[in-house]
Amino acid sequence: MLRSLVALVIVALAAGCQPSPAPTAPLTTLTVGLGYLPSVQFAQFYRAQQQGYYRAAGLDVTFQHEIDPNLITLLGQGAVDIGMADGTSVIPAAGQEIPIRYAATIYARFPSIVMTGADSGISSAADLRGRSLGIPGLFGSSWIMLQALLHSAGLTPDDLDIRAFPDFGQSAALRLGQIDAATGFRNNEPVQLALQGFPTTVLDVDAVTPLPGPGLTVGTATLASKRDAVQAFVAATLRAMDEIAADPESGLNDAIAVVPDLGINRATQLAILEATIEMWRAPYTEANGLGAIDAEAWRESLEFMRGLPDSNIPATLTVEQLVTTEVLP
Amino acid sequence: MSRPATEERALAAISLAGVSRSFTVDGRPLPVLEQISFEVPGHGVTAVLGPNGSGKSTLLRLVAGLIVADHGSILIDGLPVADADQRVGLVFQEPRLLPWRRAIDNVAFPLELAGVGRVERSERARRLLDLVGLDTFARAYPHQLSGGMRQRLAIARALARDPSILLLDEPFSALDALTRERFNAELLELWQRTGTTIVIVTHSIAEAVFLADEVVVLSARPGRVVARVPVPLGRPRPVTAMDSAGFARAAAAIRAHLGGTPDDLAAQEAAAAPIHDVLERAGSPAWFDPFGGG
Amino acid sequence: MTATATRWRSLLLPVLAAAVVFVLGWKAIVVVGNYPPFILPAPEVVGARLVEAWLEGTMTPHAWATLSEIGLGFSIGAGLAVVVGYLLARSPLAEKLLSPYLVAAQATPILALAPLLVLWLGTGLAAKVVICTLIVFFPVAVATMVGIRSVDARLLELGHSLRATRWQVFRHLELPAALPQILGGMRVGVTLAVIGAIVGEWAGADRGLGVLINLARGSLFDFPLMFATLLTIAGIAIVLYLTVVLVERALVGAWR
Repeated sequence: MLRSLVALVIVALAAGCQPSPAPTAPLTTLTVGLGYLPSVQFAQFYRAQQQGYYRAAGLDVTFQHEIDPNLITLLGQGAVDIGMADGTSVIPAAGQEIPIRYAATIYARFPSIVMTGADSGISSAADLRGRSLGIPGLFGSSWIMLQALLHSAGLTPDDLDIRAFPDFGQSAALRLGQIDAATGFRNNEPVQLALQGFPTTVLDVDAVTPLPGPGLTVGTATLASKRDAVQAFVAATLRAMDEIAADPESGLNDAIAVVPDLGINRATQLAILEATIEMWRAPYTEANGLGAIDAEAWRESLEFMRGLPDSNIPATLTVEQLVTTEVLP
Repeated sequence: MSRPATEERALAAISLAGVSRSFTVDGRPLPVLEQISFEVPGHGVTAVLGPNGSGKSTLLRLVAGLIVADHGSILIDGLPVADADQRVGLVFQEPRLLPWRRAIDNVAFPLELAGVGRVERSERARRLLDLVGLDTFARAYPHQLSGGMRQRLAIARALARDPSILLLDEPFSALDALTRERFNAELLELWQRTGTTIVIVTHSIAEAVFLADEVVVLSARPGRVVARVPVPLGRPRPVTAMDSAGFARAAAAIRAHLGGTPDDLAAQEAAAAPIHDVLERAGSPAWFDPFGGG
Repeated sequence: MTATATRWRSLLLPVLAAAVVFVLGWKAIVVVGNYPPFILPAPEVVGARLVEAWLEGTMTPHAWATLSEIGLGFSIGAGLAVVVGYLLARSPLAEKLLSPYLVAAQATPILALAPLLVLWLGTGLAAKVVICTLIVFFPVAVATMVGIRSVDARLLELGHSLRATRWQVFRHLELPAALPQILGGMRVGVTLAVIGAIVGEWAGADRGLGVLINLARGSLFDFPLMFATLLTIAGIAIVLYLTVVLVERALVGAWR
């Protein structure tokens, strides 16, 4: 009797020690903040979700949609784990001691640009002198971009006739000929205008001041507590980006699967996606891989923003307090 | 005190002949006064007395020119009554003072409306305040005064434009009996000094007899002149006159015309159709009562 | 102590006491909840930033812009409202014709109208003044209408008996009698005007305390400054409200 019991216990123990075949390890939940509205621009995230890359990496990912100011505070609080935040927001935020770090570059080219009608006679920043320009307001990434662009031509905003379009109607105004130039996002307004038969000339700042575009940003507390999960997320996302770059149509399909409304006008969405893919690539990421962070560009941008009028960025802020490469592959 | 008819008419300050007035209530005409005829001689005092609903207040407003008679004529000094006739000074049942004005500015109000200059109206107002014994309260607000003082203020205001006729609509009914007697005496004194013609509407037989040369007794609705009772008491009339035999006789005569006992009177009033006083409209907000009792 | 000084003291002491309680409560929340400064800064941090912002001149141009919007909007709105309120009170025809528009205008949320107004009038002062005018209009107009209608008919009869002209009746009888109501409406109106100005600025402006809130939040990520701006706005609203109360006491207090 006793020997049977002992044998039973030994067998049970042996069975318990073997690696269990089926039960999955608990998934790490990650809340991911994407921009203001669902968009085909987030196709890589949708693909990684649809194709199960996140799940395979042990991640349970939920998407949230937030505007930048909210997103940054949520990241700092840890209420959102990872977010797509603009680099030019991370700089002042970190300056105000909000505990976040930019962890992976997504947009290697700065999205905010100035566009003009193809026949406006404006082909460089210097040509903007004395012309009218529409902008949503004197704040945000477009304002910083504009100041950088004008600075490169030795101009200041006072040299232009700048008009505010709080309803984001500057693109329509440009089309109607009410203004000579307007700010926009490289993968949005110029693409739409071209499809409507209104080609535009685009002026960007990448060669001028390498401002950091939107990228994956994480709260420092989250980096400490969920490091491996974040790293896995970044890897899965970068993989999806690679695949979409090779086959944009598949990326569009994944996006439509997650956000059905995007299927209403495939042609437009595809054009936007292709323009977006263009922005994932820049000399630095070509050389160092998708997601790589150009510290030198960040240093230049930091100096530039610090030097803007009404800047509140402390002199003591360094790039190390802004970015981290610890979760990059 | 009777006068020959011709002399009466010649001296008559107020002359009513066949005056009738009805109001429309719920679409139906309600006669309030019928065939009212009487005269008030110049510098005389006439009391109009009758049960509730006999149209006393309406009668006063007709003489003041605030409303127009349906039939008949009302003459003041031989000329028809004009709209809001300025020969008449009105004292309402409540003082109706402007609570946001000081006493002196209340008294000066009619003068201000008539365009009299600041200095002159201030002077005249002071004299009037003096007349009613309120000179030390010139700067007080109505809410700081007692009910009696407010009514005196209203009388002073009514005299502002130096009217030849003073009409008073139950002016002392809100006061207690003793104060009322005192005010009656003061009114007579005022009358002696200003020489106006007075018509006073009252509910009180004693008040009517004490003040008036003649008491016009009205019936219950529709109001008709039931009697014109002369008061055979001399002038000046001290308060003690109220205890005299002549006083009692006049009072008795009046009471008889009213239908005898107080119970009869009450029955007559109850029989009159219930009616909202069309002159009093609802809507006075709770917080605002320029006529605050006491 | 003079009458004016007593009046000020009786108004300010309760406000100061309330402020003290508020600050203590705030500090308690920050300490107990252990909130980081970019979520809920402590009162002393905000206080320091507030002083700094005023001294540096950061706050001044924005505060001035917002005050101008409120001042102009309130003056025009309240002025129009008293006139229209009077018409509504005294003319049944006017009331029948105008009431539907008034109610419809009031029911449309300012938040929805503001962007349209900015679209039509631009991002300058005009749109904000119109918004403030609209938001102030209804409460003052209704208060005026109610106040004028509630003037005792017996006083109006007195006016008739003294041959007062229409203007004299308005000036000497109706207006003073309705003043407590009208000023009550203005109390509400002036605080709404502050909201209107900020909402208008959020719809599009380059200056103002509403703009400063957005800048502090979205561009500078300076949350103590954002809170300091909120305090400034609240302070302005309180001061404006107390001003109406003082005016009311001066004009109406003596005789009530």
